[in-house]
Amino acid sequence: MGLIQTWLPYILAGIAVGGQYALIAIGYTMVYGILRLINFAHGDVFMWSGLIMVYLITVLPLWLSIILVIIFAVVLGTTIEKVAYRPLRSAPRMSIMISAIGVSYLLQNFALYITGGLTKTYPAIGWLQKTVRIGSATTKMVTIITPVLTIVLVVLLVMLIKHTKIGMAMRAVSRDFETSSLMGIDINRVITVTFVIGCALAAIGSILYFSNYTGINPMSGAMPGLKAFVAAVFGGIGSVPGAVVGAFVIGICENLIKGAGWTTFSDAFTFVLLIVILMVKPTGLFGEKDIDKV
Amino acid sequence: MDERKTVLKLSDITMQFGGVVAVDNLNLEVHKNEIVGLIGPNGAGKTTAFNCITGVYEPTNGSIEINGNVVIENHPQGKMKDTYKGRNQGKYTNTLTMLPDKVTKLGVARTFQNIRLFKGMTVLENVMVAMHMNQSESVFGATFRSRKARTEEHSMREEALKLLKKVDLYENRDDLSTSLPYGKQRHLEIARALATHPSILLLDEPAAGMNPQESDDLMNFIGRIRDEFDLSILMIEHHMQVIMGICEHIYVLNYGGQIADGTPEEIQSNPAVIEAYLGGDE
Amino acid sequence: MEVRLNKKTKSVLSAVCIALFLIFVYFGDIMISPGSSWKMLITVIEKGSIYALVAASMNLLNGFTGLFSLGQAGFMLIGAYTYAIFTIPADSHDKVYQYFDGGLIKWSIVEILEGKMGVLGHYLGMFIPMIGAGLLVAVIAFLIGIPVLRLKSDYLAIATLGFAEILRAFFQWNTLGPVTNGSNVLRKYTTYNNAVFPVLVSGICIAIIVLLINSTYGRAFRSIRDDEIAAEAMGINLFRHKQTSFIISSFFAGISGALLAMFQTTINATPFNTVMTYEILLIVVIGGIGSITGSIIGAFLFTAASEWWLRGLDAGRWLGISASFMRPGFRKVVFAVLIMLIVLFYSRGIMGDREFSWDGFLTWCRNLPANIKAWPEKHKAKSAARKEARAAKAAAKAKAKQAKADSEARKASGEALFTPLPVADHVVVFDKEGK
Repeated sequence: MGLIQTWLPYILAGIAVGGQYALIAIGYTMVYGILRLINFAHGDVFMWSGLIMVYLITVLPLWLSIILVIIFAVVLGTTIEKVAYRPLRSAPRMSIMISAIGVSYLLQNFALYITGGLTKTYPAIGWLQKTVRIGSATTKMVTIITPVLTIVLVVLLVMLIKHTKIGMAMRAVSRDFETSSLMGIDINRVITVTFVIGCALAAIGSILYFSNYTGINPMSGAMPGLKAFVAAVFGGIGSVPGAVVGAFVIGICENLIKGAGWTTFSDAFTFVLLIVILMVKPTGLFGEKDIDKV
Repeated sequence: MDERKTVLKLSDITMQFGGVVAVDNLNLEVHKNEIVGLIGPNGAGKTTAFNCITGVYEPTNGSIEINGNVVIENHPQGKMKDTYKGRNQGKYTNTLTMLPDKVTKLGVARTFQNIRLFKGMTVLENVMVAMHMNQSESVFGATFRSRKARTEEHSMREEALKLLKKVDLYENRDDLSTSLPYGKQRHLEIARALATHPSILLLDEPAAGMNPQESDDLMNFIGRIRDEFDLSILMIEHHMQVIMGICEHIYVLNYGGQIADGTPEEIQSNPAVIEAYLGGDE
Repeated sequence: MEVRLNKKTKSVLSAVCIALFLIFVYFGDIMISPGSSWKMLITVIEKGSIYALVAASMNLLNGFTGLFSLGQAGFMLIGAYTYAIFTIPADSHDKVYQYFDGGLIKWSIVEILEGKMGVLGHYLGMFIPMIGAGLLVAVIAFLIGIPVLRLKSDYLAIATLGFAEILRAFFQWNTLGPVTNGSNVLRKYTTYNNAVFPVLVSGICIAIIVLLINSTYGRAFRSIRDDEIAAEAMGINLFRHKQTSFIISSFFAGISGALLAMFQTTINATPFNTVMTYEILLIVVIGGIGSITGSIIGAFLFTAASEWWLRGLDAGRWLGISASFMRPGFRKVVFAVLIMLIVLFYSRGIMGDREFSWDGFLTWCRNLPANIKAWPEKHKAKSAARKEARAAKAAAKAKAKQAKADSEARKASGEALFTPLPVADHVVVFDKEGK
């Protein structure tokens, strides 16, 4: 009993942050599944969603701010795709990755300019900050809301992918880009939808994440972004449920390590995990094997 | 039977991807200085067989001998134990794998079905890369141009130029490899393979995309390099004219399985082969 | 018109140019007074040469071996700290490591050797920790390389980026404070006293990289970049060669880290973050992936732009224009936009994959007037071609739209979705002679 008492807060925090990583990771895994591109700018879209919220809340009511933040993230993400990735679609893969890095650099520097390099405080959203008791532990409402909301959104997303026409098109494109375009699938539309979903989820993730870690600066997106990508790789890149499982594993382990007093190494753990999974099972937990054609 | 020494021997080679059996119990032998053909309709598993020989894929079952030594052997393991569909289960117990570069060092060189030249490099450099594995200087020595590095570089260059003369690419030596016309790119790929000093050469559709005149030239060319470089050749080809013209022995694959083997005459009159190519009469 | 010089002339020409440049930097640093705006030029040359080295080392990996690695900032960090830790004078330790009881290491290699060998010892004392920094980074790269270099290139990028982030946290870890000074800055360590030092060291290192690239190993690296499968089929051990390239690249990143520490005179782990790696990568891209000359030009342009030419954008006044939106940070935004433009519209960079050669350079110079004269014509032709392409595209779009509208109309009117084959009005049959 004593053991649970000491560790419960860390596990709860881990589940919460895991859910937040999951919402970011879905954007990575879907984009990678379709474009084979690590969207380095995704973490910065996440950071910008947080930043926009800081500014919006000062003039608008909460509900409107939340809606606008999501719309903003979607517009930003799809614009990035249109401007920076689409023209390079037939270029070597390294070029698109470099373009993604360029966008990330631009977004970070622009945030630096806007904020003047100062850490902004994320607005407290009342009911997310309410304290609740679970067993012996007290925690914030956001800790409870996050996993529930994550699971609901993921189930909806999986249903969308499995049962709708656009979902079918997405699966086809991720399986074989060229053939699906020959089969008359509108590739650009599929990609746009992918970015819309990924960015909307990242925006929701940012609301939950920054309600927990209230400081936000231009570099705030980098680490969660990297971790979410590792989560996506861990679960098997291209697989939505995989990314979610990976994100929860990373979130929980990270917090347990913090609980053990090794805070410095909680970030390092993520990358050790990445290397281990790639050595042992390069396709990740739920990934499918990609056979190189010779 | 052929009394010449066996240089390459595939025994019961099976390659299975999940539930798909790409190569099914392939048994094949190449003798010294022999030109052997591997034919079959598209998707019959010919290139997969090449990839097993050269170490790109690990075969699911079976063994491969090069110059009398077993260098690759495998048997179904892990998940494959349940899904494995081939025969000869239990015949092989070892697991010997080999990376492609090691296979090349054993004297097996190859070309690719869809030409894979080093795009950013000149014709001469393409050939010299293939000689890299035979030089013995360390990175340090090579960077600081030790005497050994300079002599090795010099002899590599000389040899590469000699080789290019033999395959009629000397004039193009400083051109970018991708700027060559298609036929010459094929020649360059063969020259590059020869630069590794192979004893066995695997050619994957060398005549693909060539007109009858060009494939005639290619046939002569293959015969010539076989004699000049003392090679044994295994080739995949769709041009029947080429296959029937130069191969001494032919293996026919269909749906991964081996449906016939024999001399060109035997193959031409084999009903199973005719059925595979033209479809049976229902 | 092509210029061709013989080998000897070229060597003499190169030697003279390099000597003149070094003399200029040496006396420039001594004679130009610190207040003068020309001093900026010396600073740019100093910092530019350090960035040129790290960019060249990254290019060796990304441009010549085809490994998309993003660990450069992390490696520079190790190099910078290693150098700094071993060269802080003994009596400064108490001040620098004020929160850690003067630190663990209480001596400086520079002082020890200087005491024994004088001036020579002083420089030896700087070189030993600098080379040591490179070697330490190389050993670490060897260790990371074992798992990471077996990965597909995308994962390599993430793993190296992540590794660099971990390093940052590690160096700021309080438990290591007696060595790394925790999250406090390291300062007072020995630095060079003339700008010619980093230029010379970087120059030698870059020359070594160029020699490597032009050796048989460099050829093997490039073959891996062009086609891994074919390279392997040519008997090249992929892992060993990737590892060699990774270790050598890291070694030079470590050296450049040490030089950066000297240039800055104080260091802290914080700025060695992903942004720094991105900047190095973007230098490589601006110069041209696969061109060392390009990396050097890119590095100098980058530093000149960010330290000098675009400074005014942060200060509110640039090229005589002043505006309130030009406040700190604006420079970097403009910069990032410029870089995006290069990435999108000029992706081959300044040099593409070509290298500098006297023949090429002189030919270019000689043809320059003619090219400039011909430029308006060429431009006109180009823009005409572009216009035509645009018109064609628009026409195709309109046609597609029309077709879609047609099919929609047919759908609406309940017609069959497929178009029936056109039926010929009458068929002419030719007989065999073709009458």
